[in-house]
Amino acid sequence: MASSKLNCFRMKRYHLFRKLLCFYPPRLLWRPSKLLANVFFSLLLCCGNMVHAQSSIVSGLVKDENGAAMQGVNIVRKGSSKGVSSDAAGKFSIAIPGSSSTLVISYVGYVTQDLPVNAGSNIEISLKRDVNALNDVVVIGYGSQRKKDVTGSVASIDLSATKDVPVANPTRLLVGQAPGVSVRQATGRPGGEFEINVRGLGSLGAGSQPLYVIDGFPVGNQLGQNINPNDIENITILKDAVSTAIYGARGSNGVVLITTKNARSGQPSLNVTASYGIQNIPSSRKVKMLNGQEFAQFKKDIFMDKIRYFEQREPSIDEVPLDFRYPEQTKISTNWYDAILHNNAPFQNYNVTLSQGNGNFHSLLSAGYVRQEGILTNTKFDNLSVRANIDGKVNNFISMGLKVNGSYATNNFANATEGRDNIVGSALIMDPRDPIYNEDGSYKSYIGGHDGIFGFPNPVQSLKEIKTRQETGQLLSNGFVEISFLRNFKFKTSASALLNYVSYKQFVPSTVAGENAPPPRDASETDQALNTRNYSTDQLLTYNNNFGLHRINVLVGYTAQEETTKSLNGNGSQFPSDLTPFLNSAALKSAGSSEYGWSMNAVFGRINYAFGDRYLLSGTFRREGSSRFGEKNKYGNFPAFSAGWRVLNEKFMPHISWLTDLKLRGSWGITGNNNIGNYSSLAFMSDNNYILGNNLVRGQIVTSLANPSLGWEKSKQLDLGLDIAAFGDKLSFTAEYYNKITSDMLLPIQVPSISGFTTYLSNVGKVQNKGFEFSVRYKTKVNKVGLWTNANISINRNKVLEIRGNNDQILNGDFYGGYNISRVGRPIGMLYGFKMLGIFQNQAEIDKSPKQDGAIPGVYKYLDADGDGIISYDTKDMVEIGNPWPKFIYGLTIGGDYKNFDWSILVNGAYGYDIYRVIEASTMNMDGVFNVLEASKQRWRSEQNPGSGKYATTNTWKWERESNSRYVYSGSHMWIKNISVGYTLSKTKLPFKSLRMFASADNFLLFTHYPGSNPDVNNRGGINPGLDDESYPLTRTFTFGANFNF
Amino acid sequence: MAPISTFKILQMKIILINIIAITAIVSLASCKKDYLDKTDPTKVNTDLFYQNQKQVEQAVNGVYGTLQGIANNQWLFNELPSDNTTIDFNPSDRGQADRIEAFEFYTLNSGSVNINSMYISHYNAIYNINNTLVKMQKAELSDSVKAVNEGQLKFIRAYLYFELTQYFGDVILITKPLGQPSDAWTYLRESQDKVYTQIETDLKDAVTSLPVKYSVTDVGRATKGAALALLGKVYLTKKQYADAVTTLNQVLTLGYSLVPNYADVFDPQKKNGPESVFDIQYQGGNDLGEWSSFIYTFAPRLSAGAVTGWPQSNPGGWNIPTNDIINAYETGDKRKDASIGLDFKSPVTGDVVPYIKKYDHSHSIYGRTDDNWPVLRYADVLLMLAEALNEQSGPSSAAYGYLNAVRNRAGIDALSGLNQQEFSQKILHERRVEFAFENWRWFDLKRTMTTTELTGFLNAYAVKEKANPTVTRQGIPYSSTDYIFSDYEALYPIPSNELLINNKLTQNNGY
Repeated sequence: MASSKLNCFRMKRYHLFRKLLCFYPPRLLWRPSKLLANVFFSLLLCCGNMVHAQSSIVSGLVKDENGAAMQGVNIVRKGSSKGVSSDAAGKFSIAIPGSSSTLVISYVGYVTQDLPVNAGSNIEISLKRDVNALNDVVVIGYGSQRKKDVTGSVASIDLSATKDVPVANPTRLLVGQAPGVSVRQATGRPGGEFEINVRGLGSLGAGSQPLYVIDGFPVGNQLGQNINPNDIENITILKDAVSTAIYGARGSNGVVLITTKNARSGQPSLNVTASYGIQNIPSSRKVKMLNGQEFAQFKKDIFMDKIRYFEQREPSIDEVPLDFRYPEQTKISTNWYDAILHNNAPFQNYNVTLSQGNGNFHSLLSAGYVRQEGILTNTKFDNLSVRANIDGKVNNFISMGLKVNGSYATNNFANATEGRDNIVGSALIMDPRDPIYNEDGSYKSYIGGHDGIFGFPNPVQSLKEIKTRQETGQLLSNGFVEISFLRNFKFKTSASALLNYVSYKQFVPSTVAGENAPPPRDASETDQALNTRNYSTDQLLTYNNNFGLHRINVLVGYTAQEETTKSLNGNGSQFPSDLTPFLNSAALKSAGSSEYGWSMNAVFGRINYAFGDRYLLSGTFRREGSSRFGEKNKYGNFPAFSAGWRVLNEKFMPHISWLTDLKLRGSWGITGNNNIGNYSSLAFMSDNNYILGNNLVRGQIVTSLANPSLGWEKSKQLDLGLDIAAFGDKLSFTAEYYNKITSDMLLPIQVPSISGFTTYLSNVGKVQNKGFEFSVRYKTKVNKVGLWTNANISINRNKVLEIRGNNDQILNGDFYGGYNISRVGRPIGMLYGFKMLGIFQNQAEIDKSPKQDGAIPGVYKYLDADGDGIISYDTKDMVEIGNPWPKFIYGLTIGGDYKNFDWSILVNGAYGYDIYRVIEASTMNMDGVFNVLEASKQRWRSEQNPGSGKYATTNTWKWERESNSRYVYSGSHMWIKNISVGYTLSKTKLPFKSLRMFASADNFLLFTHYPGSNPDVNNRGGINPGLDDESYPLTRTFTFGANFNF
Repeated sequence: MAPISTFKILQMKIILINIIAITAIVSLASCKKDYLDKTDPTKVNTDLFYQNQKQVEQAVNGVYGTLQGIANNQWLFNELPSDNTTIDFNPSDRGQADRIEAFEFYTLNSGSVNINSMYISHYNAIYNINNTLVKMQKAELSDSVKAVNEGQLKFIRAYLYFELTQYFGDVILITKPLGQPSDAWTYLRESQDKVYTQIETDLKDAVTSLPVKYSVTDVGRATKGAALALLGKVYLTKKQYADAVTTLNQVLTLGYSLVPNYADVFDPQKKNGPESVFDIQYQGGNDLGEWSSFIYTFAPRLSAGAVTGWPQSNPGGWNIPTNDIINAYETGDKRKDASIGLDFKSPVTGDVVPYIKKYDHSHSIYGRTDDNWPVLRYADVLLMLAEALNEQSGPSSAAYGYLNAVRNRAGIDALSGLNQQEFSQKILHERRVEFAFENWRWFDLKRTMTTTELTGFLNAYAVKEKANPTVTRQGIPYSSTDYIFSDYEALYPIPSNELLINNKLTQNNGY
C-alpha cells in the first residue's frame, strides 16, 4: 500500500487527473463517525439493484488492483442492456439465459473487461485502472470527447501546475497555461478577477470576455468570486468555431468550461489543505516621488525660475513665499504611498474535502475559506464556500447527479483607487510635507490646499474611515437525470439555477476631506442591494455507436435560459453625527429601484464521426433566439464544421518508432456575441420632469432611437492545427493558425445631432484577429529525477477592417489623459496623441517651428501632423503614438521532482507593446500643484540646464500635459510569476495516508523597463487598452502550506 | 445487495421529481411565443406613448424639462464672452482652459465640448417638440387641449431656433421628426431669413392658441404674453420696428407690471410674480431633482460656504462680474447691490472677488437652490418698446415713459432731452444693468452693433480687463492669443463633430 501511494504521488506530477486519484484513493483508511455519517451520508442516495431471480445464476466478487472490494461496478450481459452492480462487499450475482454467456464488467476509470462465464460459476475479477483513458478525455461543450478525436481547438488547463499558488480567484489558474489565452492581472485588488481574452479582442462595441460555463451551466461573461478554486477538477478553454458554435450567440469570444470535482470510486477520503502567506510590494515596484524637502525645493525653484524667465531678473529670497522659502528647514516628509500600505498583509486559505465513492451514489463535500487582506490598509476579501456534489445510478438505465454550491464573500475595498483623484493616484501627488497625524494623534485631514498646492483628503484616513463593504451570497446548483435506452441512446435532462445576492454599503463620514474641500463636510451614505436569478434547462439526446471501423456520436439538444436582476438603492446625507451610519439617520434620502433581464432559447446538434481512427469529421449547428435581438432579427444560425486526419494511422505512413500520434485538423464556423445590452434595440421614454405652479409635474422625453433590426455580432473563424505526440506520451506539440473575422459589430453610429440624437446602435464594422499558437509539453523521468514542462507562445494580430461609412474611426479618451483610436486598417485602440519631437530650447527654435500658441522655451515640441503650420490645441495634429497589443505573449511552466521533493516555476510575459502612463499627466505635472516624480530633477530649467531632455519646464502648463508620445513606454516584460516547492513525508512516519508541505512565492520577480508598478495594467479596458492611471498595486506573496490526506 | 433505505429512496425520488419538474416548467415556459419578448420594465416603450391627454402633457412637460439643462449653461454663451463677466482665474487647475475659459478669452475652436453639447441639447429638445407635435395628432385630445399644447411647443421651438440663429447664423431647420436616422444627412443649413420665417410662424401660432393666464397649478407654462414678447424681440432683432411696436404694445394690456423692489424679481419666495413673462422653473428644498444651482457655479472659487452657505465644496468661480460692469452702475442704482456681491475676499490673495448675487438665496439643502431663471420679464418688454419706438422715430414721450419707468424702479433719475443716438446708447446701457447676468448681453450687443463695431467694442473691453484683471492672475501671464476678438467670432463655430459626421455641412468663416 505504501508503495502504491508513493507511486501515486509521483505520477501526480505528470498527470493532471491522477492527482485526483491520489486525493481519493480507493483504500478505506478513515471511517466516518456515526454523526458525520448522518450528516454527509444522508445526502448520499444509495440504492440497491434490480435482482433477477432466474434459474441460471452467475455470482462473483469484484476487486481492484490492490485486492479491495469494489462497490457499484456494472456487470452487464453482453448484448443486453440488463445488468446489476456490485454491493459494498464487491459481490454480485446475475442471471444468464442458457448455460454460458459473456459478462461485460465496467467501472468509470477502469479498463472494461469481457468475461466468458458458465452458469452457476462463482468468479473473481480484478479490475485495472485505465490511466490513459482518463487522460484522454477532454471536456467539450455539452459533453466530452476522446482527446485523439478532437478536431477543434481545445485547451485543457494543467491544474497540477498551480496547486500551490495562492489563489483567491479561479481566473488566476489560467495564467500562462494555454496558448491563445491572454490572462492579465490588471489590478491587485483582493479577490480580483483576472482579465481574460481568447484570441484577441473580437469586438469594438460589445464585450470581449469569454463565456464561463460551470458544470454545463453558462453563468455569464464574468466568473465572479464565488467559485472555490479547490473545487475545480478541470478547466477547458474552447477557442475555435467548431468548439464554441454549440454555444451560438455566446461563443465568439471563446468559452471557458469549468467542471467541479466528483467523488472518485472507492472508499471515503478526507483531504485537508491549509496555507498562510504574507503579501508585500517590493520596493523596486514602487513609484518614487520627491520627499518633503525635495518638494519644497522644487516649489521654490518653480517660483524663482518663473521670475527669472518672465521678468528676466534674479529674484530675492524675500520674494519667495514663506511656505517654501527655506526647503532645508522642512521637518516633515511623508511618503504617502508607503503610508497607505498594509505591509505583510496576510493571505489565508483552508480547504476540507470529504469524498465517498462507495456504492451506487458517490458524494463529495467540500468547504473552503479564503481570506486575502489587501495591500492597501483596511481592504480585504473573504470567501466561504460549501459544496455538495452527488452523483450516481438509480439503476442501470437511470443515473443522476446534483451539485450545490453555496458561498458568501465579503469585500472591503477602497472604493476607487485608479487615477489622480483616488487613493493610489492621489497618494503619489499630494504634499509630502504634511504629516499623517497631528501632534495630538488625530488625523491631519486635509493635505496641501495652500500656496497653489492642490488640497487632498488624507488617504490613510480615507482608507480607515470610509467604510465600503460589499457582500455577495451565491447559490449555484445543477441537477441532471440521464436515461439510457435502446443500448445506444441517452437522454439527459438538466436544470441549473444561480441565485446571487449582492449588498453594498458605503459611508463617508464628515471627518474626511474632499478635493480642495477641507472637512467637516456633510457625511453621505450609499446602499445597494442587487439580486439575480438565472435559470437554465437543457434537454440532450445522444446517440453513440461503433460498428466496424465507424464510430459515430450524435447529439441533439434544446436549451433555454433566463436571467432577471432586481436592484434597490438608497442614498442619504445630512447625518446628525458619524455614529449612526444608516439611512434612517439621514435627513435627506433618495431611493431607486430597477429591474432588467434577458432570455434565450436554442436548438442545437452535433455529429462526430470517426473512420478507422484516421478520418475525423464533426459538424455542429445551433439556432438561437434572444430577447436582446431586435424584433426583425430574433433568431440566429450558427453552423460549424471540422475535419481531422490522423496521418500516423495511415498504412502508407512508414513506421516511425518515436512518433506516437500525428494529426492534422481544420475547422470553420460562425459564432456570435450577444453582449449588446439588454434592450438596445428598443427606444424608451425617460423621465424629464419639470416644475409648474411650484410643484413637480411629470415629464417624458425620448432619449434613444429604436433599431428593430439589431442583432448579434458574428464571427467567422478558420482554424488549422497540427498535433504531434512522440516518445510514448512524453512529448506533445501543437501548432495552430486561426483567422477570425468578426462582423456586424454593435456600434453606435454617429448621426447628425439635428436628428435629436447623437448616435444609434447598429450592426456594422468588421475586425480581424489572426495568429499562431504553439504549445509543447514534455515530461521525463531519469532515475529518481522527474522533469516536466509546458510552454506556449501566442502571436495575435488584430486589425479593424471596417467601421462605418463616413467616419471610419472611433476615438476615446481625453486631451490630458491619453486617447485610443480605432481606425480601418490598423489595430484596435492604438495609443493616440501628439508626437513629441523634443523640447524647445529657445525662442528662436519656437519661431522657426510650426506655430504652437503659447509655447515658451522648455515645453514640448510637437509634430505638425496635418502640415498646416499650426499645432492646434485639439486632436487635429495627433497621430498614433503606440501599439498596446503585444507582438507575442508566452507562458512557461517547468516542474520536477527528486525523491520526496517537488518544485515548479511559472514564467509568463508579453513582448513588444506600449503603455500610456496617464498618471504622469499628474505625477509630472510641472506647475507645482502636485508632488512630482524623482525624475523631475532632470527637468528642463534653462537652455544651459536642459536636464535629460524628457521633462518640460515648470514655467507654464501648456504643451506639456496634453496626450503625447512622451508618456508612452514599452510594456515588454517577463514575470517569474510563481515558484513553488513541496515535500511529501513518507507514509511510514504518519498516522494518516499522506502529508505534503509546500511553499510558494507568487508574483516573484518582474523583469521590465516599464516605470509603472504593473505592466499588465489596463485601466479602461475594452477598446481602450494600454492606459495606466496607477491602479491597485500587485503584491509579491510568500505562502506556506500543508496538505493532509486521511 | 446494498441495504435499501426507504428514506433515501424517497429523498432521491424527491430530487428526481424536482429536477424533472423544474426542467419541464422552464422548458415549457421557454417554448411560449413571448418568451423572448423582453422590454425594460422600468420604462415605457416609445411606441406605446402619446396616446392620451395625460401622456401628451407629460411629453410637453418633458420639453420644458429640457430647458432647464439648456439654461444651466447658457451663461457660457451669453454672458462670459461679453463685457459683463470674467473668470476667477485658477492657477492650479488648467483643466477648463479649453472648455470654459476659451469663451472669455476668445480662443474658441470648433472642438469646444460646450458648444457641442449646447448644439445637441437644442436639437434634442427640438426633436421632442417635433415628435410630440406629430404624435399628438393621433392622441385622444380635445381640440382646445391640443391647441394649448401645440402653442406651448411652438413657443419653445421658436425660442430655441432664435437662440440657435443668434449663436450660429444659418442653421439647420428641422420641423418634423425624421423618418429614419439616415435622413439626417439630407438636412443642411438654411439661411437665417428662413429660420426667422419659421420662428415668426411658430410664434404667431402660439400667440393665437396660448392663454393669457393659466390656473395656479399650471403657472410657468408659456403664455400669450410670452409669445408676444419673444415675437417682439425677434422683430426688434430683425429691425422691423413697426412690427415690434405693434406686437409689444399688445403685451401692455395683459396685466403685467414692474414689481416695486428690483431684488424681488429674483426672490424665490416671490417667483412668477407680476413682472414675470416667462421663467424657466426650478424648485429646491426637495429631492425631486428639479433644483437649480447657479450660485454654486458663479460664487468665487475659494469661497467654500461663504457665499452659498454650504461649505461642502468650493464653487466654480465662473461668470464673475467684471470691474467694467461694477463701475457701470450709476450712483444710487439699487440694482447694483441686488445684482453683485462685493463682500468676499480671497483667502489666498486677500482681494475682493465679486460675484453674481441675483441667484444667491438661502436654501435648505446643499447644492439645491430654489432660484428660477428669468427669460422674459415685463421690464424687458418696456425697454424693447422704448428701443423700437426710438429706432422708429426717435425718443418719443412714450419711449421716455417706458425707459424711465424702469429707471424709476431702480431709484435713479428720469432721463430727458436726448437725441435718437444718445437715447439708443442709454437704452443699451439700461438693458445692461437691468438684465445683468440674465443672458441677454451677448444678443443685445449683437443686435445693436455691426460686426465691426462689436469687434472694436470687445477688444476695447479686453484691453481694459487685461490691464487690470477683475481677479488677480497671481503672476500667470495671459497667453498671446488671449482676448483678441475677431469679426468671425461674432458667430460660434458649428461643432466639428457635426462636420465630421456630415461632410456636406459648412462651417462658419474663420473657424
